[in-house]
Amino acid sequence: MSSEPSNHEDAAAESVAEEAVTRLEDVQRVTDAALAYLDLDDLLAELLNRVTEILEVDTAAVLLVEDDGRTLAARAAKGLEEEVEEGFRLPVGRGFAGRVAFRREPIVIPDLERTPGEVVNPLLREKRVRSLLGVPLIVEAEVIGVLHVGTTSAREFSDGDIELLQMVADRVALAIERSRLAVQSQIAETLQRSLLPRNLPRPPGLALAARYLPAAHESAVGGDWYDVIELSPRRLGLTIGDVAGHGLAAATYMGRLRSAVRAYALDVESPGEVLTRLAQFAEHEHSRMATVIYATLNLDTWAVDFARAGHPYPLHLKADGSAEFLSAEAGPPLGTGAVATYEDHRVTLDAGETLIFYTDGLIERRGQLLSDGETALVEAAADAPDDPELKCRVILSKLTEGIDVADDVAVLAVQSIGLGELLEVEVPAEAEQLATLRHLIRRWVATHDGTDDDCAAFAIAVSEACANSIEHAYGPGDATITLRASLVDGEAKLTVRDRGEWRDPRGANRGLGIPVMKEFMDDVQIETGDDGTTVELRRRLGDGP
Amino acid sequence: MPELARLSLESDGDVELARVAGEVDASNVDDLSLRLLEAVTNKSRALVLDLTETVYIDSSGISLIFDAAARLRNRRQQLRLVVPPRSFVGEVLAAVSMERSVPIDPDLAGALRAVGSSG
Repeated sequence: MSSEPSNHEDAAAESVAEEAVTRLEDVQRVTDAALAYLDLDDLLAELLNRVTEILEVDTAAVLLVEDDGRTLAARAAKGLEEEVEEGFRLPVGRGFAGRVAFRREPIVIPDLERTPGEVVNPLLREKRVRSLLGVPLIVEAEVIGVLHVGTTSAREFSDGDIELLQMVADRVALAIERSRLAVQSQIAETLQRSLLPRNLPRPPGLALAARYLPAAHESAVGGDWYDVIELSPRRLGLTIGDVAGHGLAAATYMGRLRSAVRAYALDVESPGEVLTRLAQFAEHEHSRMATVIYATLNLDTWAVDFARAGHPYPLHLKADGSAEFLSAEAGPPLGTGAVATYEDHRVTLDAGETLIFYTDGLIERRGQLLSDGETALVEAAADAPDDPELKCRVILSKLTEGIDVADDVAVLAVQSIGLGELLEVEVPAEAEQLATLRHLIRRWVATHDGTDDDCAAFAIAVSEACANSIEHAYGPGDATITLRASLVDGEAKLTVRDRGEWRDPRGANRGLGIPVMKEFMDDVQIETGDDGTTVELRRRLGDGP
Repeated sequence: MPELARLSLESDGDVELARVAGEVDASNVDDLSLRLLEAVTNKSRALVLDLTETVYIDSSGISLIFDAAARLRNRRQQLRLVVPPRSFVGEVLAAVSMERSVPIDPDLAGALRAVGSSG
């Protein structure tokens, strides 16, 4: 007799255990890791499928809060597909789903036949839904939507049912949030990339290069930028900046700052004045904090004027391999509320020197001193190859080696050409380049002990040869001229090569270029072949024989 | 950045004075030429082109001067140049024997005296 109740207890315990196992299986079905690989629509459809099976319900629906924060819109449904197709919407606070969102807790309607006023969706009546259970979708304490299930026969939802549905809701909320972030960061990255210059200018005698590395975490993309503005044929504007924060909002603000710099740069010459105006713009926008350097580069003199708003120091790499941070006083970052003016500082590049601008992501490391990052940058910059493109790449890869880069990083390098015995530059066949080219030739001749007369002579001869190429050899288009200078035993030889065919001089006073070249050079040779014209100019340098 | 060349124009009665400071090459010669010819009206008797502050000129600038001289000659107007001796511009103009076509004075006062201007 004693075994009877015991048997009964065993049976009860067994059924509890069975139920627990079933519940565990149910939970596993809705938290299945494989679901993470589905896109959002497939994931929602699959979760609604599973939840209707597990809870043995007839309908299931997900409604999401719209951007306005006040409206719920149907996003996915099973058994109530028309709800999604017809774009059903209702205000937060009204109807069944509206109340779940408003009260931020599960709500059960045991029998709609007795309380028909509790729903506003006619579809629920049409489908003869009798019992409903709804739970909120919550992300970081914010309701982003509602998940509800329903049955066409009256049903008592148990605490276990509510718990399971809430678990599914959490899963759905997470997936939706993830998908929203992914879309946002994709937009942010696309926006960012579209705002970075695709091709940098290639002025004679100077080389520019830049690299941008998005943060390792997709959602961290956003605030860094660099820009090169062709202010005039002989002057460039250079910007590097970093907007605080990440994601779409940072990228959008970055775009506004970038445009503002461009506008002010065309208006005023002084970089300090550009930043002073930019700071006023930033205050007016009431937006996030940003750091920026704006610089102008004189292509003739290689003088760089710059102003700095809280941005990391530019690095000046000398030809002898030494390096110096340009730590001249700076104004505060933009958007700090401080009324600020910014001062101009000047650094002039000598031949073969490089100026490196970068954003803080390059030198800031968690748990490390900033000065360690700076030291690492100096070492990497000095060791890297001279070519500015390679320099940027190598610096980036060395400083981010083995690190999950938490911040995006931008690097911009500008380098003046070395003036060794051999000089070769390619220039666009445009008259606007002539003055810059003359400066470059004067500099090269002077470096190799040429007198003022030598400098002037080569400047005009080279300019004439190039002007001939520009005028006669090419129509409009992307043509280039190659200039090569070399030094042999005190005699300088310059060749100007184009890939066109010189036409006969037009007009009575045209064709004066050749006599002028001959006047200033010891020897002038002009050779025209099928593949272009080469002018060779020679003159002995210095006061020697 | 200042323009490659700066042109300043002055009128002294029927004598036009044009000063060119900076560099003249193929990139700015057309613009300079246009502005120079606009400065000379039917009432003008002479144009004095002062190249004292011109630090660079090449064949495009030489063409400009030859063209201007021919136009003014057709309109019975004079052209005189001011070029300091032993300057780069002087050297370039000498290379094409400019002095045979257009009178050159070493300073502005001389040029103005020669065209009979009071200023």
